[in-house]
Amino acid sequence: MKWLALASLLLLATGCAHQTTQAAGRRLIVLGIDGMDPGFLESHWQALPNLNRLRQQGDFRRLATTVPPQSPVAWSTVATGLDPGGHGIFDFIHRDPVTRQPISSMAEATPPSHSLHIGPYLIPLTSGSVQAMRSGRTFWQILAERRIPATVIRIPANFPPAECEAESLAGMGTPDLTGTFGTFSFYTDDPAEKRSQVAGGHIAPIHLENGSATLQIEGPPNSLRKDQAQTAIDIRMHADPAAPVARFDLPDEQFVLRQGEWSDWQRADFRLIPGLKSVSGIFRIYLQQVHPHVRVYVSPVNIDPADPAMPISTPSGFSRTLTGKLGSFYTQGIAEETSAFRAGILSKDEFLAQSRKVLTDNLRMFHYELGRFSSGLLFYYFSSIDQNSHMLWGRYEEDLLDIYRQVDQAIGDAMRQPDTELMILSDHGFARFDRAVHLNTWLMKEGLLTLDDASNTGDTEGFAHVNWDKTQAYALGLNGIYLNLYGRESGGVVSLADKQDLLDQISAKLLEFRDPATGEHVVDKVYFAEKTYQGRNLKHAPDLIVGFRRGYRASWQTALGAVPAAAIDDNTQAWIGDHCMAADEVPGVLLSNRKFRATQPQMVDVPATILSEFGVPRAAGMLGQTVF
Amino acid sequence: MDSFNALINAGLRAIAAAFSWGPPALSLAVFAVLAGSGMIWAFRKTSDQAKLQAVKRKLYAYLLELRVYSDEPSITWRTQVSLLRANLRYLGLALRPAVWIAAPLALLMIHLESFYSRQPLALDSDTVVTMRLRSPVDGAAPDLTLPPGVELTAPPVRIVSRSEISWRIRPRQAVSGELQFRLGGQTVSMPIEARRDAHFIPGRRVNSALAVLWHPDSPRVAASAVDWIDVRYPDSAISVFGLEINWIVWFLIVAMLAGLALKKPMKVVL
Ligand SMILES: [Zn+2]
Repeated sequence: MKWLALASLLLLATGCAHQTTQAAGRRLIVLGIDGMDPGFLESHWQALPNLNRLRQQGDFRRLATTVPPQSPVAWSTVATGLDPGGHGIFDFIHRDPVTRQPISSMAEATPPSHSLHIGPYLIPLTSGSVQAMRSGRTFWQILAERRIPATVIRIPANFPPAECEAESLAGMGTPDLTGTFGTFSFYTDDPAEKRSQVAGGHIAPIHLENGSATLQIEGPPNSLRKDQAQTAIDIRMHADPAAPVARFDLPDEQFVLRQGEWSDWQRADFRLIPGLKSVSGIFRIYLQQVHPHVRVYVSPVNIDPADPAMPISTPSGFSRTLTGKLGSFYTQGIAEETSAFRAGILSKDEFLAQSRKVLTDNLRMFHYELGRFSSGLLFYYFSSIDQNSHMLWGRYEEDLLDIYRQVDQAIGDAMRQPDTELMILSDHGFARFDRAVHLNTWLMKEGLLTLDDASNTGDTEGFAHVNWDKTQAYALGLNGIYLNLYGRESGGVVSLADKQDLLDQISAKLLEFRDPATGEHVVDKVYFAEKTYQGRNLKHAPDLIVGFRRGYRASWQTALGAVPAAAIDDNTQAWIGDHCMAADEVPGVLLSNRKFRATQPQMVDVPATILSEFGVPRAAGMLGQTVF
Repeated sequence: MDSFNALINAGLRAIAAAFSWGPPALSLAVFAVLAGSGMIWAFRKTSDQAKLQAVKRKLYAYLLELRVYSDEPSITWRTQVSLLRANLRYLGLALRPAVWIAAPLALLMIHLESFYSRQPLALDSDTVVTMRLRSPVDGAAPDLTLPPGVELTAPPVRIVSRSEISWRIRPRQAVSGELQFRLGGQTVSMPIEARRDAHFIPGRRVNSALAVLWHPDSPRVAASAVDWIDVRYPDSAISVFGLEINWIVWFLIVAMLAGLALKKPMKVVL
């Protein structure tokens, strides 16, 4: 009997030992491919040999996405295993409940609390900071605590990166050096260009003298000056009088571009206090045209990964190490230049060329990480399919397939890694975006939102003419409707007692809402925040989440709180594909080189699977279970 | 001037070549030691050593006085004034040798720049070659003939506002050759280096007799229409014990140490 007990103990011990060594030497690669659509894969398996082989040898499923199916929301769920009610991110855009003004959902900046005044300068005595808005512990923080090596590259909504010993690089949500999600500059002497500001960029007129002109590139506002004066550097451009070619003189660099060429990454120091303090930024110049008018595009000034002005990696020196190995790279969260394409400044082909550069940067880093990956977890994120699908979906299939093919090749490289488990997932699929719904106008027509003067529609400024005393609900962001609630919104009018009735009423009306042009239903599903989410971190949650039918999406005006004249318009912009609809309409994908046991996997299952593969128990509150 | 520069250049090249088996920090240290010993020798030759010795003795004496009478303000004050005068006297005596030393040292350093401040052109990456004219740019750009292995990757840019013409070139293989420009029936050449082991990388080639003082590497441009020609080379740094530092810093540190070390054996009063 004693002997038997001893033997079973020994067996148990070796079993345990086996398990830990297995966890320590285990290799798991997870590729996050934003926007990869299951339907698109199914109609192109033959053109995507690696993905096709993966689903045949392993498995392929639709992956249920979050409500709403937006990238910051879904990837936050992947990172933490919490639903939006747990991690607290519900949209790209939240609103300040008191002022109803839009704010970024991903990060918040606080200025330093104490400063010293010297002349025009303001020297901070405490450091200001940026905080990520996401709650919950991330799977790589949990792995790092267990000493399991993890490298997490560019997962969205991780700026500033979650503090831990794992190597991570921030992704979507990382601002450019000026603090926006990407502001390009465009310089021209074409008198026909009358605009000065477009969404995501500004346009500066230049004056050529003997073929030479100065381009002023704006850096961050000078936080060390009382007047917060914009920092800037000057670039001199010299165009040949006849040939389509120009020379650019930077403070420390000089180069020649032919028409249609992009420069390499250029580094520039924006001076805060001359000779003492500056911040470093990187950018690229595109010489679009020389004659008859000069047209020069300058990318948003990215945070320099070699000398980051804001935290973009853990450990903080990791981004510098990467620059040492790979040269400069895009650090801006979403680097594909969709704004300049939408503004008509870049053509489709120019957009594609720029977006290829982003993918090239990203693939170079991917191959570097793949090459040095030895054990533990490698998570790598690709933005290209999502951003290109927004501009190409349903109209330029071949161009989009080309992007899918490049990603398929990268997947093939990951598949060749020996003894490695591979998981591939996307956060949502895609659909056409044909009709833009102005939710605030719809609310107005339903008598739930009132303007101070009914003729004041069409204003693009957020809620500029809304009479809050007579407004019960308003829309902001890409899927959200908020009540004008007493005690929450300043001057709110809806009492807590009336809240549920009103929500039911709006929901019923939304489900009846038909497109006047076609007679079709506009909304597929309406979700009540309090019933949909398990987590109770609902401070920023819209009261209703609108699940549009495929083809419909909240308009850009709605996202920022504008009230145009019509309730629905044709989408005439270059942004033709989207996914901010009902979650069931746009599922993502899940693939692996192993078979799944789960038949209906969802986002929360992904972190649960990762932890389970390393034998690590889930953190408290994490939803989901392993898919294997 | 050209032959004088050429002579110095030949001498420096010979020394650099003799130590080319080691890292650049080594041959630069050799130049620095030579410069340091030259400076200390010149200091002895051009200064009044006896007077310097006397002033220095006085300085020590005053310093001693200050310490001894530190609690007697009237004496301290007088000593302070004397100390200041002795100091000025010392500076006055050091001025003459300093003037004598400055010119050759500057000349040496201007020449050394071509050995240590630039890297050869990197293969397969673009660089800009610029020619400035002495008269406005009009008409076509001068013809440029490239040595084998170097490509022109963009048409020339004529910059009217600066009377400059820029070419973008890209070396495809290791090259140590010459760019040949033809303008107004004259040919002007400019050396280029895209060889890893190049020690000497000439800087701007100039026309004016004044400018050649700062850019002494190549003979002056003979073509009257050209003011200067310049190839943009990547900057170089000297690697010392794994640290990347500016060559001037390394040069001055070694020269100073050499000077101090030779002070005693050469019996020089500094
Ligand atoms: Zn998207």
